[in-house]
Parts: sequence; structure tokens; C-alpha cells
Amino acid sequence: MDPAAVLELEGIHVRGRGQPRLEGVSLRLRAGERVALLGPSGAGKSTLLAVANGLIAPDRGSLRWQGQERARRPRARRRQQRRIGTLWQDLRLIEELSVQQNLNAGRLAHWGWPRALLNLLLPLESDACAATLRRLDLDPALLDQPVSALSGGQRQRVALGRLLRQEPMLLLADEPLASLDPRLAGELLALLLAEGRAPRALLLSLHRPDLLAGFDRVVGLRTGRVQFDLPVGAVNPGLLAALYAGEAP
Amino acid sequence: MSAGVARADGGRPPGSRIAVAAPLWVLLPALVLVPLALLLPGLSHGGGWSLVGQFALAALRPSLDPLVLSSALRGLGVTVGMALLGWALSLVLGLMLGALSSRLVWRQCSGRLWPAELIRRLLALPRSIHELLWGLILLQLVGLQPAVAVLAIAIPFGALVARVVSDQLDALPTGSLEALRSGGVAAPAALLTALGPPLLPQVLSYGGYRLECALRSATLLGVFGLGGLGTELRLTLQSLLFNELWTGLWLLLAAMLLLERLVGWLRRRWTMPARLSLSPQAPAPNRHAAVNGNTSGVGRGGRELVLAVALLVPVLVAVAWNLEVDPRSLLRWQPLPPLPPADWGAVAALPWPTLVANTLSLTLLAAALAVGVAPLLLLLVRPWPLGRAAVQGLWALGRLWPPPLIALLLLFVLQPGVVTGALALALHNLGVLGRLLLESAEHRGETTEQALLSAGSGPRLALLYGRFSALARPYLAYGAYRGDVILRESVVVGLVGATGLGSQLLEALSSFAVDELAALMVVYAALTLLGEDLSDRLRRRLLAG
Repeated sequence: MDPAAVLELEGIHVRGRGQPRLEGVSLRLRAGERVALLGPSGAGKSTLLAVANGLIAPDRGSLRWQGQERARRPRARRRQQRRIGTLWQDLRLIEELSVQQNLNAGRLAHWGWPRALLNLLLPLESDACAATLRRLDLDPALLDQPVSALSGGQRQRVALGRLLRQEPMLLLADEPLASLDPRLAGELLALLLAEGRAPRALLLSLHRPDLLAGFDRVVGLRTGRVQFDLPVGAVNPGLLAALYAGEAP
Repeated sequence: MSAGVARADGGRPPGSRIAVAAPLWVLLPALVLVPLALLLPGLSHGGGWSLVGQFALAALRPSLDPLVLSSALRGLGVTVGMALLGWALSLVLGLMLGALSSRLVWRQCSGRLWPAELIRRLLALPRSIHELLWGLILLQLVGLQPAVAVLAIAIPFGALVARVVSDQLDALPTGSLEALRSGGVAAPAALLTALGPPLLPQVLSYGGYRLECALRSATLLGVFGLGGLGTELRLTLQSLLFNELWTGLWLLLAAMLLLERLVGWLRRRWTMPARLSLSPQAPAPNRHAAVNGNTSGVGRGGRELVLAVALLVPVLVAVAWNLEVDPRSLLRWQPLPPLPPADWGAVAALPWPTLVANTLSLTLLAAALAVGVAPLLLLLVRPWPLGRAAVQGLWALGRLWPPPLIALLLLFVLQPGVVTGALALALHNLGVLGRLLLESAEHRGETTEQALLSAGSGPRLALLYGRFSALARPYLAYGAYRGDVILRESVVVGLVGATGLGSQLLEALSSFAVDELAALMVVYAALTLLGEDLSDRLRRRLLAG
């Protein structure tokens, strides 16, 4: 066990229809490491992230968050999951709620019923929410707006804000840049890389090998297996071509 | 990060505005439980708790006596047969009348709109009168015939289907229709070609739902003596033969669940829209999505559909033959007893304000209970799969059990009156709403809930924030429609007494007080039409967001 490891996966195996979705995947993220996960569609990137955030229990293999085994009891596991923040490709914002209520949804795991209910009547923790928005270069006046009224770029940031409100140790992001124009993608990536610094760690799945610059390591995944796990400088066009052989990158 | 509550001081501190957010909307109607809890102790008479206990225990020991079983099976056959025939007739009627009351059809065929409006208005009357009243009136006129129940179901259901069909027709995009017309195609052919395919999945989905309603209605009509299993259920309940009662109930439950499964399976197989998007005023994007989503399975679904209809016709003929449904019998009116001269003074002296107020409070109480308790229960049992199964079982029994029988059962422990009637209607409609909520919760907000769960939220909070947010508007819109149904249904709990117009109507019917009956029907119909209009407005507002 590595005391600085935020996430440790060993021999992770997830069954699928026909062929396994993940087959013997091992991966370690230490505090401060920012890792890009590359691979063609269907390689198992989303499954790997779902294992990493606890949504999927692996059929075999071991998973440790900050040195702790994945708890079997739901309540204990929820306590572990509090410290894992995921940015989803489709954002999964709650369209019917305000920006502030959405940001506070990141605190739900820490709150009991009274606060969760009160937040639906009178949104709580305005100062903290405003600070989060400022940190993401958004105007705090947006707090009262329904998220459905925001632009695409603002929504991305609110989703990131909800994740930051969680105060996570491990940041996961599932193809967050896929549907963004180059400028927005660049801005969001810069924010994610900045937030992924120590003591946190960042694991981000990508579809585009041209955006690897700010990462520390790159993991290539193909048909559920790790093809390579290398420092970003060691990733060359030949490796990428082999990773995407027969597929459009 | 600091954890301070919003500042309420000067300027406009963001987030300091109090507003009830969407997820709470679905729970607000459940607040009615508070006054109810205060009222109930005063209403209970406590005498019949042992009877209720016996009734509940008998569920585990239904009578397996061959005589009882065969009689229950025969009853079930009659009920299902009446439901099938009434439903099929209502679909045929509804499609024809729906096309006839569509503005679009009239505009294309004759350029005039007023006939559509006129037919639409005329159809409001059969729609506003509950099938039970149609059944009892027909019963007085032509005597006890299997055809009475069939027609009693077909008349109001046909008018309801007609309304949905014409609303759907008038809301369909007309681009392809105009293209055909400008190419010189005659109106009927153009209408059929351009609007038939997008209309079909909506009609099929609604038709499937109506079949489930028809089974419930046929059971209910039986409770009032029109034959089938309902009659047996009432007789066994009133003679306290609970084991025999449960034989019929379990059979009915099996038939109902089978039918619901079949309809749900066909709905998925033929990729029809789910029911929650099928309010007549569903927002346009939903409707288009549903219509477009259908294109994938049209060929296969189309062939299967033709086959299904071809198979259904001989089945219907066989059922009608077996039940001895004879349409000619409807023309042979039986002599009515000599009617006393109308006494309008006595009719005017009825306590109208109380009757109307009681009917309205019964409706509101039942609607609030049914709409509010379903999500509350779902939230409470969320973490436990067993609890969820138990709640689903409770809902299935509620749907199955006709409200007047629930009312009779409640009379063992409660005094007759508005609250008892409302509770009976609420339990029944809770079953309907709860199932719908579960079904739609499977399709909406799933990913958001997952996102919250993966961040460590508890299952209840994830359900509340994740799914109820997305469900609030469509669910409450359906709840508004249900309120309208409950108002129409309030007549069926009239037999527990003092429940407003319903009980007065049943009394007038059984005492041949034609003048009183006519006046009550007019007021009742007016009230239902008003209720329908209000619920439509509410629904449109909710869905427009």
C-alpha cells in the first residue's frame, strides 16, 4: 500500500455481455498526479471511471481509496464516496434547480435531511457558493438563476463547481471536453488541471490525443486492458496509432 | 469553505429568496395528512378492527373450494369479457368521433370549423357522466343485460378517447399534410397518409391504458350488480366470507397484473410513448420526440399490429357470443313504474351548497392524498428493496379493489361521510398514481440520481434531488388529470352516505325520483366539466414550465 496513493486499482475485472468490459486493470494515482485516460470508443474508459467513483463494484480485483478498501456496507461506502468528485460528460445538473441549489447538491453527502430540505426552500451557504463561482470565473449574481438558463460554458463551470463544493480528494472526469468548442475545451481543461494539483489527484478520460500537454501521465486503454501507462513525454505517435488501430481517434 | 446560512441583509444577497423548489412540489400535497391525522380518531368507531384483522388474515387463506373457485373464475371471465367489449367499442367510437371533432379534419374537408366545435361540446356530456351512472340508468331502462355494462363502459370511454384523438390530431405538425394537399391529393387520403402514422402510437398507447381502465370499470359495475366478479366480491364482503372474497381478489389481481404486463410489453415492443408524456396537452417537443422515436420499429410493429387487430375481431365476436351480449336487447325497453308528477319545489329545496361543497372537498382530499402519498412512500422505502416490493403490492391491491368496496371495508372502523369516501377514492387512485410514478421514475432523472449517489449522497436524498426534480412537472400534471377523474368518480363512493352529489344521485336513482335525478345530473355534469377545464389549465401551466 502506497501512503500517498489517492486511488489504487489492482487486477480490476468487470464482466460484460460477451467480452469483459475491464480485464485485469491496475492503476495507481498519487496525490498531485494528473492522469489522462486515452482509448477508442468501447475501450472501457467510462467503466473504469464508474469503478473508480464506486458506482460499479468490480467482479474481481481490489480497489482502495486513500488506502482504504472499498467498503461493502452502503453507509460506509457513501462516506468514502464523498471524497470522490465526478464531472460527467452530460454534466447531470438538476435542470429544475437554481445554480446555488445545484452547487449545494455537492454538499448533500455531508448534510442531513433538515439542511437538504431547507436548501430547497431557501438555498443555503451563499458565501461559499459565491466563492466557488468566483474561483471558476463566474459572476456570483448567477446564484439565483435556474441552471437551465445558462450558456453551455457556464453550465460546465457550475458542474465543476458542484464537484468542488464536495471538497473531493479524487477528481474524475468522463470525456468532459467532447462536446465543447476548442476555446471552451481549453479553458475547462486548464481549470481541471489547476484543481487537480496536490493534495488532489485527477483522472480524466479523453478522446483527443492533442490535449495531453498539462498531464503528468497517460494511460492507454483498449478492449478493457491497459496498453500503456507512461509519463506524458514518453507517449509517441506510434503508441497512439497502435492504441487507436482500426478506429478514428 | 464556510458554512453560513444566506445573509438576509442589505443589497440583493444572492440566494436569499424563499421559493419552493421543484422536488418539494410533489411532496406538498402530502401535507394534507396532518389535518387528516387529527380528524381520524374522531371518526373511528373501533368496533370493526377484529373484522379488518380477519379480512387481512384471510388474504393468506383464500378459499380453494372447487365451487367457489369455479364461480369466481366464471365471474372473472364475465368481467374481462365486458371490459374487452366495452373497450373495443369505445375505441371504434372514439376514433370516429375524434376525427369528427377535430378542427384540422374539418378545415381540410370543408373549410368550416364550427361543426368540430359543436361535436366537441356535445361530447362533453357523455364524458362528464361516470360509467356507473350510465350503467344504472341503462339498467333502469332495459333491465339487467350483459349489453348494459358493455354500453355503459363504451359511452364515456368513447367520448374520452374522442377528446384525446381530436386533441392529438389538432396538435400534430401539419407540414407533410400541406405538402400532400398542395400536390393535389384529396383531403381524406392526405389526412390518413400524413396524420395516421404519427397518430397511431399515441392512440395505441392511450388505448392500452384505456383497456386497463376498462377492466377496473367492469369490476366496479359488477359491484353495483351489473354482473361478473364485482358482484361476487360485494356479496362475499357483505356476508363477511373473507376467504371466498380473497379467492376472487387474487384471481382479479393476477388478471390485472397480466394485462398491465401485456400492455407495457406491447408499448415497449411497438415503441409507443410512455403514459406520462401522453397528457393531451403534452409539450410539443415531447410529442415530437415520441413520434420520431417510433420510426425505428414501424415495419415490424405495423405488421404485428395488423395481425393483432385481425386476431382481436374473432376474439371479440366469440366473447360477445359467450356472454350473450345482444345489441337488440338494448332496444327493448322495460315498462317503467308509474312516475309521480315532477316536484321542482322539492328539488330546489335540496341542500345544494352542502352537496356541492361535500363533493368538492371529497375530491380535493382524495386527490391530495393520492398525489402526495405516492412519492412520500417511494421516498420512505427507497433504501430497502423489500419495502419497495411491499409498497408496490399495496398499490396493486389499491388499483384492483374498486373504491366502493374499499369504502365498505373502511366502514368497519370509520363512520360514513366525506372523509371515509375520500380515503376510499384516495387508496384506489394511489395505486394508479404510484404505479405511474414508479414507471416514469425509471425513465427520468436516472443519470442525475446516479451522479448524486456516486458523490456519496444517501439514496433518499439522491431520489429527491435527482429524480423528483425532473418528475415534478409531469407528475403533478398527471395528478391534475387524476383530480379530474376523481371528481367524476366521487359518485361511486356515494353508497357510504353523506358524500355529496354522489350519494344523492344514487338515492334518486333507486327511488325513481326522475326530477331530482335530472337536476342532480345537470349539476354534476356542469361540475365535472368545470373541473375538467380547471385541471386542463393547471396541466398546461405545469407542462409549459
